[in-house]
Amino acid sequence: MKPLDPLLHSQLRLAVMSVLMNLDEADFVYIKQQTQSTAGNLSVQLDKLAEAGYITIEKGFAGKKPRTTCRITQLGKDAFAAYVDALRPYLGL
Amino acid sequence: MEDKKITEQESLDIITQMIARTRHRLCLGDGNIMLLWGYLTVGVALLVTLLLIVTKHQAVNWLWFLIMIIGGTATPHLAKKKTANAGAKTHLDTITTGIWTTVGYLSLVCIAFCLVFLLAYGKDCWTVMFMFPLLIVGMAETIQGIVIKERSLIVGGAVGMAAGIFTMCLLATATPLAISWYIPLFVVSFTAMMIVPGHILNYKARRQQ
Repeated sequence: MKPLDPLLHSQLRLAVMSVLMNLDEADFVYIKQQTQSTAGNLSVQLDKLAEAGYITIEKGFAGKKPRTTCRITQLGKDAFAAYVDALRPYLGL
Repeated sequence: MEDKKITEQESLDIITQMIARTRHRLCLGDGNIMLLWGYLTVGVALLVTLLLIVTKHQAVNWLWFLIMIIGGTATPHLAKKKTANAGAKTHLDTITTGIWTTVGYLSLVCIAFCLVFLLAYGKDCWTVMFMFPLLIVGMAETIQGIVIKERSLIVGGAVGMAAGIFTMCLLATATPLAISWYIPLFVVSFTAMMIVPGHILNYKARRQQ
């Protein structure tokens, strides 16, 4: 059995990647709502995923409000697909 | 959720749960942009008709440009607001934006050809602008309806396309488009194509929330 990617084998980071896999982009507030996480924790985990090159983070404005937009990268998609593949034998799938 | 280690079964549960949550909001968008174009087109059509009857001056036909000016200015603003409110952009949003951006550029090309024919050759082919929105917008709307699986868009788009093909036949046979019967047909077609589906989309989106 292949070892699971330790960066993805974490509750919140995996949830973030699963959300972004299904979308073209999502803002910080949306991800926070979907993952039911705290802002501080989410921010730290997003930075870790961005450092690994799995996602990109773009800070901008929607009107006068600041808006942080996240997108999954091709590297992130590949890592997610590899994670799901590696997961199958553990679950006997 | 936290930054904690999970079991393999929990991993699968998280992935399934997140996909289900994001899929839930993919289905239907906001109908406001359709309502804008629908009411704008119908409003301008009625205004032009009224002014043509009252003044009998063909120059009022330039007011048709209000549709492109107001609609073209307000649409990007509404689209940006919609994305900001939704908090996420789905693959379907991207497809929809691509479809309508193409329609927008095609409209500009159509207007450019009409202007060239008028200014360079002195020939009036503006009646093509009645056929174009019905046919092309109807087709775009039907495609969008198929993509997001929304029947009102498919039916509305089909009504528009049928009216567009009918208009094409009228133009091909050089049948004059009299305002007494053609404008009501145009208004009814646009109502079926944009206004009715726009309200249905908004109603369904509200019910979903």
